[in-house]
Amino acid sequence: MIDIVFLILSFMAIAGGIGMISFAQPMYSAMSLIVTIVALAGVFAILSAPFMFMVQIIIYAGAIITLLLFIIMLLNIKDEALPKEPNKKITIVLGGILLLPLNYLIIKNFYLLPSKPMGILNSNFGNIKLFGDELFKNWLVPFELISLLLLAALVGAVVYARKEKSDG
Amino acid sequence: MADMLISYITLAMILFSLGMLGVVSRKNIFVVYMSIELMLNAVNLIFISLGRYYESMTPQVISMLIIAVAAAEAAVFLSMIVVLYRKKKSLDADLFTSLSQKDAL
Repeated sequence: MIDIVFLILSFMAIAGGIGMISFAQPMYSAMSLIVTIVALAGVFAILSAPFMFMVQIIIYAGAIITLLLFIIMLLNIKDEALPKEPNKKITIVLGGILLLPLNYLIIKNFYLLPSKPMGILNSNFGNIKLFGDELFKNWLVPFELISLLLLAALVGAVVYARKEKSDG
Repeated sequence: MADMLISYITLAMILFSLGMLGVVSRKNIFVVYMSIELMLNAVNLIFISLGRYYESMTPQVISMLIIAVAAAEAAVFLSMIVVLYRKKKSLDADLFTSLSQKDAL
């Protein structure tokens, strides 16, 4: 049963990724990326990570991609503003062939790890209390630095998007 | 299939390769940005599957920090795209050469 769910989710994820890199309109690409992200959230749930499942849906699908869609709609892109990409298919196929050795190397090396059952754990592994313990005991400094980074990004985004006076 | 580490790694590597192909072969700046997001997602998947494999919570914390960095990146990148589109009236990444040295010389 769980195998079928995993197969469907991975098929959705890969189909969304292929759609994302092949559509010419950025709006369709963003929609395909949403499919991929929601499918990956399901894979996280299979991997006994319910908190990451929620974070993936709320922050990725809910905040980041919505911001992206909002910007795409706000810019009101005409067809002539899209770049011409006449040899897109050739570069994608050639690049895929060139990336095969890297994939082979990494998958072969992970294959050498001893195999271990990875079903959904019945213990409370992955619940939010253990997550908070780990985050606030061992990762407190990175967590605070992330808040600084988000503040810097907020200020940076405002400074970038402001209209410059020299533009008139 | 769902109880083997290698299937998750394979899925993550396929997604990572798709993201890398999008970065190197597309000129649309939005698609380049979305491919970067796809690669970050693939890395998150590797982290979380290894965390399940070793039954440790640390990779989930790391991948949450990665998502926070991706959110910060989204804000800055998208406002940069807005400024560049206002100046060049195009989404072609090849036209965005304001910082290139060839232009200055």
